[in-house]
Amino acid sequence: MAADSTRTQTESRIERLLQKDWTPYLIFALPLLFLVLFLFWPLATTVLRALSGPGFDIDLGNLSLENFNRFVTSPMYQRSLRNSFVVSISSVVFASLIGLPMGYFVARVKMPFKNLFLSIGILPIIMPSFIGAFSWVILLGRQGIIRHFLNQIFMPFGIVIPSIYGLWGIIFAMSLTYFPFVFLLSYGAFSAANPMLEEAAMMMGARRPRIMRTITLPLVIPSLGAGAILVFIRSMGNYGIPAILGGDQYVLPTLTYFRVTGFWDLNSAAAIAMVSVAITGAALLLQKYVISRREYETVSSSRSEQHLHTHWLARLIAVAYCTLVLIVAMLPNITIIIMSFFEQWRGLFPTGFTLENYLRIPRMVSSEIFNSLFLSITASFITAVLGCMVAYITERRRPKGAVILDLAVMAPFILPGIVVSVALLSAFSGDTVLPLGGTFMIILIAFVVRRTPYVFRSVVASLTQLDETLEESSMIMGANWLYTFRRVTLPLIMSGIIAGTILTFATLLQELSTTILLYSARTRTVPVRIFSAVQDGYFGQGAALSVMLLVTVFIVVYAMNRMLGRSISSSFKLG
Amino acid sequence: MSLSMTYEGVEKVFDPEGRNPVRALNSVSFTIEPGELFCLLGPSGCGKTTLLRCTAGLESITGGKIYYGERDVTTIPPFRRNIGMVFQSFALYPHMSVYENVAYGMRVRKVPEETIKTKVTEIMDLVGLPDVLKRNPSPTALSGGQKQRVAVARALVYDPEILLLDEPLANLDAKLRRRMRAEIRRIQKVTGITTIFVTHDQEEAMAIGDRLAVLRDGNVEQLGSSGELYHEPQNAFVANFIGKMNFFHGNVASAAGANRESPVRIGNELEIRPHSERIKLEGPLSPGQDVLVGARPENLSITNVSSAAGEAGGSGGGIVGRVNVIQNLGQITRYEVVVDDAYAIDALEVDMYAPVDGVTEGDEVAVQVNGEKALLFAPETVADTVAEEEEVS
Repeated sequence: MAADSTRTQTESRIERLLQKDWTPYLIFALPLLFLVLFLFWPLATTVLRALSGPGFDIDLGNLSLENFNRFVTSPMYQRSLRNSFVVSISSVVFASLIGLPMGYFVARVKMPFKNLFLSIGILPIIMPSFIGAFSWVILLGRQGIIRHFLNQIFMPFGIVIPSIYGLWGIIFAMSLTYFPFVFLLSYGAFSAANPMLEEAAMMMGARRPRIMRTITLPLVIPSLGAGAILVFIRSMGNYGIPAILGGDQYVLPTLTYFRVTGFWDLNSAAAIAMVSVAITGAALLLQKYVISRREYETVSSSRSEQHLHTHWLARLIAVAYCTLVLIVAMLPNITIIIMSFFEQWRGLFPTGFTLENYLRIPRMVSSEIFNSLFLSITASFITAVLGCMVAYITERRRPKGAVILDLAVMAPFILPGIVVSVALLSAFSGDTVLPLGGTFMIILIAFVVRRTPYVFRSVVASLTQLDETLEESSMIMGANWLYTFRRVTLPLIMSGIIAGTILTFATLLQELSTTILLYSARTRTVPVRIFSAVQDGYFGQGAALSVMLLVTVFIVVYAMNRMLGRSISSSFKLG
Repeated sequence: MSLSMTYEGVEKVFDPEGRNPVRALNSVSFTIEPGELFCLLGPSGCGKTTLLRCTAGLESITGGKIYYGERDVTTIPPFRRNIGMVFQSFALYPHMSVYENVAYGMRVRKVPEETIKTKVTEIMDLVGLPDVLKRNPSPTALSGGQKQRVAVARALVYDPEILLLDEPLANLDAKLRRRMRAEIRRIQKVTGITTIFVTHDQEEAMAIGDRLAVLRDGNVEQLGSSGELYHEPQNAFVANFIGKMNFFHGNVASAAGANRESPVRIGNELEIRPHSERIKLEGPLSPGQDVLVGARPENLSITNVSSAAGEAGGSGGGIVGRVNVIQNLGQITRYEVVVDDAYAIDALEVDMYAPVDGVTEGDEVAVQVNGEKALLFAPETVADTVAEEEEVS
């Protein structure tokens, strides 16, 4: 009797296995394989290298902490680490100081051109940050025109405006690049907050300043925290700005680059990379524990209108403030456009009007343009497929390992670009099983690993909004998993996929921090070329290329938003 | 050619190996007759939707078997079961036209285009939407009732063997709900398809179902026609879930021996002698035993205390309470009477066919129970079931 029942049980178990739809599990294996090969394995070799002592060899027999020891012994390491902290924290502070009031003004003050402010407000993070840094050199560098101009005014009083080079310049450029994160997130929170909460406080007799202090600001803290952490992670990983403006001040990304290209000391670069990952990871955890716990339900009455300040003074201050911020933030782009038509710009005005900068492009950089397009398009496509698969698996099928997959895909979110490069170099450069150094392949992999989280998130967002019964009803009507996915799921999440992919494309076109360590003469991209033009002092040429890049990126993003009917700002919330 | 449906010891445990396994279904066994419109009824969390989803194959069951007719479908995935289902959200595809939505199941089955066209037209006539088909808009442009009809059409068009309806009326407003439940019954009777209808609304279930099963905590509490469930509830839970039931703390009179004819006292004021068929307790009634006395609002009556004392010398008696709320509902007048906790669990609801003279809110009244119609149950806590029901509806 008992034996009989166990047999039928096994039988039915086998039956169940045979009846099961296995396609999703096969598809599950593919992204996992990719992640193991191109994320886990490189990270593992990075750790091994970091523990192997300086040089290029992995020496398993002789593990040491020598590479990390330099953070104690070498003044250069110490200064870089300190600089990185100073830069990132200051950028967070200044970006918040700029972005938070702007978010409040646009959300709560009755003012004209709100949508314009929102659209332009996003531009600094869409545009390549190293181009911004380059423009600040033109404006505030040693020969910078604004500096020149201000000095002519203030020199008689004995005040000399310092040049942009150095820590303050880096912080200045980064704050102006990344403040939109704080601006957009706090704008969202300010406009979504339930106005009845403030009304209730008012009914209980609280005055405006008290309401601001006790109700309004506490409610936006989670969003402010999310914005702050984005700024922190971005400024920690930014390579372009400190490379152009740093002068003799190194930060962790530039130090990493220096160790690799200067000494081919990949092992100590690996150690530096690990330290920067640890810092971003710790910051993210801190944010999770301190801020996320204060997540409030603020969406309950998103329909009810906010009470807007209508006093003329409030409106004047708000408009003046927002306009000023945007002008300053957009100054680099304007500068770069002007610069691109001239040979030089060393005084108050540029000299030597010319179209030569543009005319030279087809001749000089056609292979870079091809490389950039080829790499970005291919990588975007792979990213789309991969991100989509992982999103679908983790969101809908939820097999046991889904959490790992989820975490693995999101991990590069906290990995600075240069860390991804170091990891890939660790695993695939020189004499390894799979030598990829200097190939298109290694750049493609870096792009895909680094950008999959963005498509992933975008698709997950569309999937969570997609009513699961739509898919279930298809199954009920007799469609198997693949048919359902093709006819129901895919068409309904298509806009999410397209948005994520185009965004990926736009960001990959301007990617510098990953490519800078991975490119070879054959695989050089447009941003790398701009970067070297700037470093070699060919400002006109760099500017013309930058304008070309800016215009392309802008058209792509703008066209996407037009097509999908969303506002530009909403597509960049994730960064 | 419709099929019967059989559940044989169906069990469902969510997260069986996890730290908090949840038993959603406990050896559920019953059979639905061919062509029957069967309702699964119960408060939220009772397992009715889980049972339906297991029937559909959207959830796998952890024990037992499910049969469509003679066929064991326990391990067959939903897309090979040939069933139709209407979801609470309707689940119409926003990216397809109404026609394409209805045609979907047949496209999956690779039915020739000609047949699809005829069948879609037929079914849309049946659900009363021929005009909508002519315009053929996106389903997002339809009203709630139209969406509902399209969803039913879509589920029926490919001649499934079983039709499953998961709270299909919950998203409609009250008036439309009444009309659509008649519509669904009409369509079901025309097609003669074996149908399971899940709802938490007892009025809806009683109105629509040939038979009903009342579920609680994954167990089938009682199964029968609306009349059986209303007049012969097997326990206090069912009694309270199907229509309103007033509960009194009763006590078997000590003078009598242990038999099923003993009178039951409520306090010192009332003594009732329920019909033996209406005693839902196992075995004989032993003297002094606590029981739960149930009475429908229409089986209670009130008298004005001051006038009653004058007339009949107080012999009619009754439990004295205070009128809390009087609702005039047209056909009847409903009195909510608060009595001492010692007598009853909750405030009593008394339905009178005519207003009682001279009684206003705040007055003291005496409540009498029609002993013939009263029910006896084993004592259990029923208060929480009341709260649950209110929360749901």
